[in-house]
This record gives sequence, structure tokens and C-alpha cells, in this order.
Amino acid sequence: MRRVAAALLLVVLAIPAAAGADCKVHRGEAVVLYSTTDDPSVFLWDSRLRLRDYNAASFDEAQALLPHAVLVAPGTHASVVSCVPKFVVSPMFSEPDDAVGVLIVSGPQHGLTRWVLGSDVRQFH
Amino acid sequence: MKNAPLSHVTATLLLPAFLVVTLGLAVLGAFQTRAQISETFARQTQIQQAQIALEELLRLQIDEENSLRGYSLTHDPFYVSEYRMAANEYDTTEDSIRQTVREQNLAGAQQMLANYTRFQQEWRTNVAAPLLSHPNEQLDALDKRNKLYSDYETRTVAAIREALASTNELLQHSTQMQLDRTSYVRAFWLLAFGLLAIFLNAYRSRLYRELEQERTTTEILQRVFRSESTPLPHCEVGSAYLSASSHLAVGGDVFDVYRLSDHLALILIADISGKGVDAAVLTAFIKFMIRAIALRLRDPSAILAEFNIAFSKAVGNPYLFVSMFVGILDTDTFRLEYASAGHDSAYLRRSEVVRQLAVTGPLLGVMEEPYGTEALELRRDDMLVLATDGLTEARDRGGRQLNDEGAMALIAQSGPHAQELADQLIAKVRKLGGNRLRDDLAILAVRVVDGTATDA
Repeated sequence: MRRVAAALLLVVLAIPAAAGADCKVHRGEAVVLYSTTDDPSVFLWDSRLRLRDYNAASFDEAQALLPHAVLVAPGTHASVVSCVPKFVVSPMFSEPDDAVGVLIVSGPQHGLTRWVLGSDVRQFH
Repeated sequence: MKNAPLSHVTATLLLPAFLVVTLGLAVLGAFQTRAQISETFARQTQIQQAQIALEELLRLQIDEENSLRGYSLTHDPFYVSEYRMAANEYDTTEDSIRQTVREQNLAGAQQMLANYTRFQQEWRTNVAAPLLSHPNEQLDALDKRNKLYSDYETRTVAAIREALASTNELLQHSTQMQLDRTSYVRAFWLLAFGLLAIFLNAYRSRLYRELEQERTTTEILQRVFRSESTPLPHCEVGSAYLSASSHLAVGGDVFDVYRLSDHLALILIADISGKGVDAAVLTAFIKFMIRAIALRLRDPSAILAEFNIAFSKAVGNPYLFVSMFVGILDTDTFRLEYASAGHDSAYLRRSEVVRQLAVTGPLLGVMEEPYGTEALELRRDDMLVLATDGLTEARDRGGRQLNDEGAMALIAQSGPHAQELADQLIAKVRKLGGNRLRDDLAILAVRVVDGTATDA
């Protein structure tokens, strides 16, 4: 049953990849997660809608969303499984950011599939 | 003298007045602009200081977080003291930014700063305090909450930064506009003043040329109409003339010595009330008219009376009048008969004593009154000194007028010969006024030299 659910999730994550032509990263790319220099740890979200809501919400609303987030250390390796271009809109951003679906491949969250902000994903060369 | 034309009044009074007023306005405007620009610069400086302080605030916030991370990883109290130091410094810096934002009346930034302060205080309560008291508990949850605060604080700082930058940009734009406007206004005033100055200078030059031309014409006319020193038997005749310093004051003095017969001579000096070319032309009229009348009538009072009638009819200007001294000198007997129409600058110097000759009637051209005739028996070395009012009305540099007493004193002190006396009087008057003469001055002196006259 768990395998089926995981497969379904992968399919769901994979669907928007077709529209990911404008994304900075693409499916299958190996990436490293790293946020801003001031605070480099990265939030992983169980839904791209929550990812979007977190960035658009007020502080109190964002605080209510926290149980749906996982914090990973900067430098965590991942693989891109999906990307929705310009999905995250926030009054704090000068332009919309991508929502990127990733499979964590290192650290304590290894094997977890979640959504992250496009600007928190660094291509790994 | 003619009335000044309106264009002359405009150019000499109104335009300079306009220049002064506009110059005053330009200076006031410059001061006002300077004050405005200074104020804008002061605001800009304050905003820039707030921008720097904001970056410092962000650095202190990160210092606080890093110190807390250091403590949670190592449990070293050093990081606690670092944390507290950063927290204190953070509060001070935040106060200064709040003050600037309030003074600059940046309502949006004030609200954002309030949020920022709230986040930081909550972070200290909800994240920092639990970690400091129980460094090993709930690390995951606190980490997440820490990230949340960090995200929102960073975003708020970015918004405040943008608000300050936007205000700064507006102020810069405003300053630039003020500077541009000042430049344009200054260029306009410079152009206006320059053009007005050029116009005034051109007008002044034209006026000066016209006056100089009139003065030259007047002087030529006067030279033509004034008699050269006509030699008289048994007498010395001396004369001198000095033009007024002002172009407008040159004009109406005339004197003449004319032999009517072998032993009779006409002695004339007159001063016309007008100035300029018109007055100079009138001198010719007076000179030849008096000569013509004197050839028929030998009585000076009759000459003046007839001339008075002819003058009034010929000139027809009720504001023009003439003071005149007419003498008929018999060069055989040295009897001088004279009449004076209001001409009081007539003197007789006998030995060292100078006395003023009496006026025998009113000014010519004023009324038709009879004139009296006086007679003098001249002696050897007696000097008849006739002058125009340029002598008695001469002023020293302090503005004091010479008057009759001063004139008589100068005559008494002058040399014994007629021409010498005339030249010396001119020189003394010129010296007295510092080479500036308010009116023309004509001097005619006749001295008896023949031995047939009675000695004193």
C-alpha cells in the first residue's frame, strides 16, 4: 500500500514537470538545498500550495502552517522530481518563484519527497 | 530748460529701480532655495543614516541567532554573553531607527518596524529563552520556529530597506529638481540683468553723446557771440569765461564791449535764466539787440526799457527772464552811466576797496517797470568788474556759497590789470569748487589807465 501511495505521489509530482520548461531546474537534476546566507536552512513542505501560502501569508498564518514543514540543514542533497514555474507569489518577492518537488537523498530526511522554494535549490555540479 | 522726456525718466529712474527690485527678489529666492536644499539634504542624510543602521540591525539579529546556535551546539556560556551583548546593541540601534522613521513621518516604515520589533521580541520569548534554559529540548520545533521568525524578519527588513531607499530616491529627485530650477532661474536673471545693463549702458551712452553734442554746440555759439576784448581808448578790457561742469548748465551768459562812437562805449553783461542751445541762441539776440538800441539811445535805462518790451514780445516765454547790466562809458571823461536790471554782480574796485553797484530795476522779461540810471565818475586805476551769478553762487566743497561778500573779497585780492583780474577770479572760483562749477561764469573787467582821468 505504501509503495502504491509513493508511486501515486511521484505521478502527481511528475505531471507539472511537463509545464516546467521555464524552471531553473529540471527533473532528474541533482541539487543541494541552501537558503539565504543569513539563514541557510531550508523548509520542506508537504504541499506546494502550503509552500505558496507560507510565503504569501501573514506571520500568524505562517505559524499555523509550521506543522506541515520539515526543516533540513543547509547542504542537504536532493534530486529534482518536479517543478512548477513561477508558482510562488509573495509581496516580498520582486518576481514569482518556482515550486520545486525534490527527493531528499542525504541526511536524516533521506528518502523524503517534498516541495521547496526554487530559490532554495542550488544546482550541484 | 525743457522737461525731461518720459523715455529719459524711464531709463534713468524706473529701469534701475526695476533692476534693484528684481535683484532683491533674485537674492531672496536664492536664499529660499538654499534653505530648501539644505533641509532636503539634512533629510537625505538622516535617511541614509537610518539605512546604515538598518543593515546593522540585521547583522545584530543574525549575531543573536548565531550566538544561540553556538550555545545549543556547544553549551558554552561564552555564546550566551555574546547573545546578550548582541541583543542589547540590537535594542539601541532599533531605537535610533524608530526615531528617524518617526521624524521623517514614514508611516509605512513605522508599521513595518513595529512588526519587526514584535517578531524579534517573540523570537526571544518563544525561541531564544527556551533554548537558553533547556538547550537539549524540543530542538526540532524550536529550529522550525527560529526559521519562521528569521524568514519574516528578513522580509520585513527588506521592506523597510525598500521604503527608506524609495524615500531617499524621492528626496534625491526633489533636490535635483530644486537644483535644476535654481539653475534655470539663475540663468534667467543673469540674462535679464545682462540685457538690462546693456540697454541702460546703450541708453546712457546715447544720452551722453546727445548732451555732449549740445554742450559743444552751446559752447561754439557762446564763443561766436561773446565779444573778444574790444580795445577801448585809455582803458584795459579783460574777460574770461568758464563753462559749468554739468552738461545741462551750459548756456545763457553774455557780455559785450562795443564802441558806439569815438568816445562812447557800450559795456554789457547779462545772464539768461535758461540753459542749453536755446539760451545760447538768445545771447546773440540780446547782444545785437542791445547794440542796435544803444546806437539810437544813449541812456542805459532807456536801453533796458526798450529791450524789455522787445524781449517780451520776441521770446513770448513768461518763464524766461534776464538779468542785465548796461553801461555807457565816455572814454574822454570817464563818466560811466549804467542801469542794472536785477544784475547785482556788478562791482567797482577803487584802490583796495570794492563796492557793489546798485540794481536800478527789475529783471527783464518779468514786468514793464521803469529803470533808473546811475552815474559814476571813474578815476585812474578804477576797475569795473562785472560778473554773472556763477561768481556769487559758486560753492566750496562743503557746499557754502560765496555770496557778494566773498566775491568782493576775491576781487579785492586779485591782480591790478583787467585781464589778470578776470583770469584770477576764474581760477579762484574753479579752485574753490574743486574744479566743479554748478553754473557758467563770465567775467568782464574794465580798468581806467589813462592819465587824463582824475587820480584817486
